[in-house]
Amino acid sequence: MKKFDGLNYYEILKIPMTSSYFEIKRAYKDALSLYNEDSIVTYSLFSNEERDKIIEDIKNAFSTLTDDQRRAAYDRMLVDSGQVETSIPSREKQDSSSPLSSTHASVNENHLYSRVKDKLLTKDVKALSDEILLKERLSGDDLKKLRNAVGVKITEIQYITKISASVLKAIEENRFEELPPDTYLRSFLRSYAKVLQINPQKIIDGYLKTISLSKKTNDSDPK
Amino acid sequence: MAEIYPIGGGKGGVGKSFITASLGVLLAKWGKKVVLIDLDLGAPNLHTLLGMKSPKIGLNSFLNKTVKNLESAAVPTMIPNLFLISSFHCYMEIANLFYAQKLKIIDAIKKLPFDYILLDLGPGTNFNTLDFFLTSKKGILICTPEPTSIENSFRFIKTVYFRKLKQMMKKNTFDSVFKDPSSDLNGSRINPPDIIETVLKYDPGKEAFLRNTLSEFKFKLIFNQFRNNVDATLGAQFENICNRHFYSIFQFLGNISYDSRIHDAIFSKILYIHKYPHTQSAADLKKIATQMMSKIPSASFAKDML
Repeated sequence: MKKFDGLNYYEILKIPMTSSYFEIKRAYKDALSLYNEDSIVTYSLFSNEERDKIIEDIKNAFSTLTDDQRRAAYDRMLVDSGQVETSIPSREKQDSSSPLSSTHASVNENHLYSRVKDKLLTKDVKALSDEILLKERLSGDDLKKLRNAVGVKITEIQYITKISASVLKAIEENRFEELPPDTYLRSFLRSYAKVLQINPQKIIDGYLKTISLSKKTNDSDPK
Repeated sequence: MAEIYPIGGGKGGVGKSFITASLGVLLAKWGKKVVLIDLDLGAPNLHTLLGMKSPKIGLNSFLNKTVKNLESAAVPTMIPNLFLISSFHCYMEIANLFYAQKLKIIDAIKKLPFDYILLDLGPGTNFNTLDFFLTSKKGILICTPEPTSIENSFRFIKTVYFRKLKQMMKKNTFDSVFKDPSSDLNGSRINPPDIIETVLKYDPGKEAFLRNTLSEFKFKLIFNQFRNNVDATLGAQFENICNRHFYSIFQFLGNISYDSRIHDAIFSKILYIHKYPHTQSAADLKKIATQMMSKIPSASFAKDML
């Protein structure tokens, strides 16, 4: 019987090297439930020592891959030791190819905040933000409209809030199924609202209402 | 070339014969020429599942040479294109088949001129069952989604490996320590799991050879008597674990839903798949038969081969 010998952390969790935090977390939960001692699939396959070793490997994989610094060092080690092709750090490549790290490394937060403040004082933008804040439900389109009105780029929000551009886009494009669990989403929306200097609670409540409504309609969909 | 599918799995009563008969009927209805061979020697009942009383001709006719070859021992069933080689009339001690007879049967099976040959094996892990299972590289393991049944499937796989290893050792020179691998392992007779590792440890030169041989097996898994309250992802988990921790390729073919009418059909000697072609269980069986016919591996299969 093969164990985890010779498998790297990504292989242990069965995920690609480009996986995001959420993918790693999901894979970790799946692996734990598959190898726990109550799993009817594996309970008879391993001795207690073997199982303990396997669970330990899974936990090490998770703790390493969810720590950015340790993950980077681990990736480097995999490349340097020839265990993976040098082309792997597509995750890093993604980051560096996005305009964020190179051109926007110099986003000046203070400058951005004062710029947004000025914009919000102009008549048109004020009218728009008031109109949006009055709504009971807020969609990604509302957020995007407001962001464009105050002249902030997605990459700037990404730089300040450290929320990945793909999540920000998913929020604005109402791709609810791609969004993280509510707890994270709330904090993302709060950060987003802070950059735009509008009432975070209104944004969170309005957006979550839209999501729950869309879930309800999907559930009641006869298909 | 005929596709040979041995159908086995550790436990008795999990539905091996029922599935063999049902898959045979489906494949035959789709125009394939199919023969079912009842190799549950000593406890044959495939004929009953097919609604036949007691086929006069069968494996016995082949062994005592009243028919000229194994093909002539196949009798037609009520389904066109579907044939049965029964072991109903075999002598009482057939379960303890002579080695030479066994080889003769296996050799003849491989030469049968059919599209599909399904072997209905007995429960347990005796040598006959294992050797018939090793007739082809794509044995199907049937189990129910219960801990005991899954446990026995693992044991069955390990025992198949062990048997294969012994066969190979006859043909190839292994380190003398392993002329009798079981002797060296503490309690390996009760607990066969680490036979491969032990061989690898003491005779590492054979590792590639051994791994290659075992990696040629493409086992298939089926969960039978699947009830609604069972975790639907169990099959995927089972496939995943086998692919990870054993040395061959495993493909989960699907769940077959539990249906009490299956029992009723067996009681009244009616072919369930024929009588109830539109039930969930029949749909499940059709899905599995379709996969057996398609040469393209399913998506999950391809994924795990990477």
